[in-house]
Amino acid sequence: MLAPKPMSRVLIVASRDQAVPIIQELYRGNLFHIEDYVDQGRAEYEGFKIGTPLEGATEASTELVKVRAIENVFAIRGEDIDAKQKLSLPQIRSQIEQDLPGIEKEVEELTGVRSKLDTKAKEYEQKIVELAPFLEIPVDLALLRGLRFFSVFAGYVSGSLTLNVPHEMQVVKGKDRSFVLAIVPEKNKTETERLLQDAQFQAVTIPEENGSAPERTAYYTEQIAGLKKEIAAINEKLARIKESHAGLLVACEEAFKAKIEQAEAPLRFATTSKVFVAEGWVPADSTTGISAALEKVTGGKVFVTELPVDPLHDAVPVEYNNPSFAKPTQMLMDIYSRPMYTEVDPTLMLAIVFPVFFGMILGDVGYGLLLLIMVLALRNVLKGDDGQQFLVVLRNASIMSIIFGLLFSECLGFELPWAPIIYSRHLNIGGGEAGAGPMIPELLILTVWIGILHITLGRTLGMINHARQDHGEHRIKTVLANLGWITVMWGILIAIWSMFTIPLMPDLTKLPVVVAGLSVGLVIAIVFIVMGVIFIARDAILELVELPTIISHVLSYARLMAVGLSSVAIAMVVNYMSIGMFIGPALKNISILGVLMIIIGVLVFLLGHALNLALGILGGGLHSIRLHYVEFFTKFYKGGGRKYNPFGMKRRFTED
Amino acid sequence: MAYVNMTIDMVNASQAGMKAIGAGLAVGLTGVGTGVAEMGIGAAAVGAIAENKDFFGLGLLFTVIPETIVIFGLVIALLLLF
Repeated sequence: MLAPKPMSRVLIVASRDQAVPIIQELYRGNLFHIEDYVDQGRAEYEGFKIGTPLEGATEASTELVKVRAIENVFAIRGEDIDAKQKLSLPQIRSQIEQDLPGIEKEVEELTGVRSKLDTKAKEYEQKIVELAPFLEIPVDLALLRGLRFFSVFAGYVSGSLTLNVPHEMQVVKGKDRSFVLAIVPEKNKTETERLLQDAQFQAVTIPEENGSAPERTAYYTEQIAGLKKEIAAINEKLARIKESHAGLLVACEEAFKAKIEQAEAPLRFATTSKVFVAEGWVPADSTTGISAALEKVTGGKVFVTELPVDPLHDAVPVEYNNPSFAKPTQMLMDIYSRPMYTEVDPTLMLAIVFPVFFGMILGDVGYGLLLLIMVLALRNVLKGDDGQQFLVVLRNASIMSIIFGLLFSECLGFELPWAPIIYSRHLNIGGGEAGAGPMIPELLILTVWIGILHITLGRTLGMINHARQDHGEHRIKTVLANLGWITVMWGILIAIWSMFTIPLMPDLTKLPVVVAGLSVGLVIAIVFIVMGVIFIARDAILELVELPTIISHVLSYARLMAVGLSSVAIAMVVNYMSIGMFIGPALKNISILGVLMIIIGVLVFLLGHALNLALGILGGGLHSIRLHYVEFFTKFYKGGGRKYNPFGMKRRFTED
Repeated sequence: MAYVNMTIDMVNASQAGMKAIGAGLAVGLTGVGTGVAEMGIGAAAVGAIAENKDFFGLGLLFTVIPETIVIFGLVIALLLLF
């Protein structure tokens, strides 16, 4: 909790003939994060080279490419498929040998035929396009070709065209330009060309068809319909194959992928002609388990030892170590950056505070329930780990939003049958109902308090992080600088309390005066501020420029109230418009117009609340996460940890 | 006397109106400010994310920093109105 999983660095040495069982065992265990061996001429690795892949790597790669090609045809993706039953490796192997070549051939043939049919259909469609201008001209197109004494011109002209040569002409008037088909004697050809050019003539090729344009178009349309039918039949066949073999295909992909990863593992090891050395990271609590398992599979012909770890300088891979309810929130951490090994991991705090912030912003029973229903409905649609984690985060947020809705006594902008248990956010829109109105100052100060505590927590964590990561004099300076930020903030607060009376905050204005007209509170405040400024300046004098951010960051938490209040305002306006302006008056005396008004009112209600819910989720989520990323994390969190990526795979479709 | 009362009513009404105008200006102008500030950052962040998806978190962070301005505006507006 609050720190990544402790890791130990493990070195495995064995002779090369033990490579296969060791790699298999490590892969099965899915715990060993391989540290890639790089040929850098490190003294202790003199004479070692990068290893060569095991047998069968190339064949497996070829097969994998084929399987993926078929999967692409069907648009199958492993994460979209529910693993019904796990196939054992021998089962898969026999099915790969028996069924896979057949499936591959059939799919290849079918897709080949389909693409041919597709091309043909496109060709015919093109012909129909070419025929389109001639549709209104009832003439056999064959007659327009191969004339010896006449020239045929077909094309578009803008405006009108008069030919002062002997001719026969058909004109089809269009919107901007007209289609012209003109036949002139051969001897007038040049003159006609000139005339046509003046009329901005754009030539159209006469289609190589026998028969009139409408006839041919009808013929091609019929042909395309036939082709479409054939394509549909092929698609149906492919769909059947997909249905019956999708499970096998994803299992094959997984099996081949596992095989390739294992076969290529020696590329990451240091080897000589006789032995190989694998270095890597293992969670500290599984070290003994791994070495025992390796001893067992090799019959003791392996040397496993733990190397010393320097957490600050070794790039230790980071694996989260959180209680299960906080695990989904790791997704929000990864969006920012994974913590470093030596850092405090704030996932747990994020998991608790994020839903609370979200609930404070979108505190509404109606919206919370709607969001909860949406999340539950999406659970079967969104597959894959990230999607599921995101949904759990949203689910927690929506539950908090319902709880805060009960406290604020809000449901879709209406008041619930009790008065708000905490401060009211009800506005008085439309001027109808009388009431206390929103308690803006109280809410504002509540959010400021949250900000003060959150930032103090952040700076305290900053002190812990610096105490862990830095050394010597620098360590003292950085820790004190963080303390300095806290004292400046509280100093400013005490100064404000000593000068003004503010609800919900301590009142220090009545404290006795000690020196030079300053009260005790002010003296303490000045001491705090001066001390803090000195601490900060000792670490980095330029940081003093950032002092105003103390105020802006604390006030930034006011968004918890402000964004929420704007969403309440939108909800109430929607209610006022739909019920107060449309439905209410219409219900007083029902008429045909009244029914129409009721329908409009219901539409306004639905659309308005849908929009407000969308805005609320977006606003609530973004603003709560932003308060963490910008105001909270910048105080202590650096991130940039390396992801713990163990050698192995979570098998979903296969088993050993 | 009635005349004086009417004048006081008018003054009160116009005061309320001025407050409303001030609140509107506070939200509107800070909104414009936020928009202008986020314009450049947002465009650059989207460009960076297109290059490298890992930049999403940091990009989002930088983009929403100017949001604070409009929140200040909103707070001032609410304090003016209530």
